[in-house]
Amino acid sequence: MRNSEPGSPVSSIGGGVPAADAPITRLLESMRPELLRFAHWLARDRSIAEDIVQEALLRAWRSRDALKDPGAARPWLLTIVRREHARLYERKRLELVSLDEALETQASPGFPEPGGELFALRDAIMRLPIQYREPLILQVVGGFSTEEIARELALSATAVLTRLFRARNKLRVICGLTAAPDAAAPESLS
Amino acid sequence: MSCDEARLLIGADPLATTPALEEHLATCAACARFRDEMRSLDADIRRALERPPDIARLRSAGPPAWRQWALAASVALASFAVLAVWLLRPSDTLAHEVVAHVQEEPRSWLATQHVSAQGIAQALRGAGVALDVTSDRIRYAQSCWLRGHYVPHLVIQTARGPVTVLILRHEQVRARRTFHEAGMNGIIVPAEHGSIALLARGAGDLDDLAGQMQHQVHWLPDAP
Repeated sequence: MRNSEPGSPVSSIGGGVPAADAPITRLLESMRPELLRFAHWLARDRSIAEDIVQEALLRAWRSRDALKDPGAARPWLLTIVRREHARLYERKRLELVSLDEALETQASPGFPEPGGELFALRDAIMRLPIQYREPLILQVVGGFSTEEIARELALSATAVLTRLFRARNKLRVICGLTAAPDAAAPESLS
Repeated sequence: MSCDEARLLIGADPLATTPALEEHLATCAACARFRDEMRSLDADIRRALERPPDIARLRSAGPPAWRQWALAASVALASFAVLAVWLLRPSDTLAHEVVAHVQEEPRSWLATQHVSAQGIAQALRGAGVALDVTSDRIRYAQSCWLRGHYVPHLVIQTARGPVTVLILRHEQVRARRTFHEAGMNGIIVPAEHGSIALLARGAGDLDDLAGQMQHQVHWLPDAP
């Protein structure tokens, strides 16, 4: 998805770059790879991730005055990306990627991929249901605290702890460890 | 703090700690072991998430059986070659990462069918480049994650065999440089925007193709 908002300074969005906006333009561009990786893990589809990041950068550019502290740009942008991801699914109810079909080929003997354990772990993360994958990605890739994730997902802190625990517990099994007993409290909305 | 509470906290964030948790772990070997395991797992999770997922690669079919043996032999030879040149590995990080990336995709060398125009377009997507190369010469085309960006990874058939080409918009080099690693010869040449890396297995005249690529790669102004 390409946007051609006149006067926008983000080069991939199009338009000229007023000198005063050069710093924020550079900042947005420098964050793009990380935002794309974050969106890709959330959406599990590169095309969708690119659309999400494009929309997110456009939103960020439009509301650039809200960013008072450039040091806070990273969580600000990651939050915009996450919300754009949620909004995209709410708005379009996108066709889901058939992950089972996509991953079947992995079982083919001789399929080249180094680091078998890591490969299995990456698959397992992709297979996690969104309610477990999303907080895990927010925490590990985004660097969000439990409280920040709770605020972002409108959950209680206990519910976030539970989801993170369950996400890692599922991944434990993939790595050949015994699943820990799930004594987590039932989740509750904040 | 009970064991259940401790494990919930550890499982949710293996790196986090609180005085109450440390107090519990000091007297509970099972939970201490659980934390060690979870911290190790967490390190793997972080490594796993360093790159975007590879669903597109997973969608592609695996090689036919005879190629699996060829592939295994190639991997074994490549591994031996890596060992052999380990002491002579280049200090050039970019070249090293280019070689490492190509080693991760050994089947790229085995492709014999030309890539469709659609496949090439997908490989170029988001890279900010267009190509003049005729598609019948391109035997492999993927968009690959390298050094924080998606880059087109092509294998082009030449009279002297296949040559891997990586179009590196975000990597600047001042001058042509050569490298030899893992049984591959390579060069990285500066381009209008960024650089182009070319690799061949064994001997090969890469400069000729490099010169062609410098003319046939068009750098689009509207690039991510």
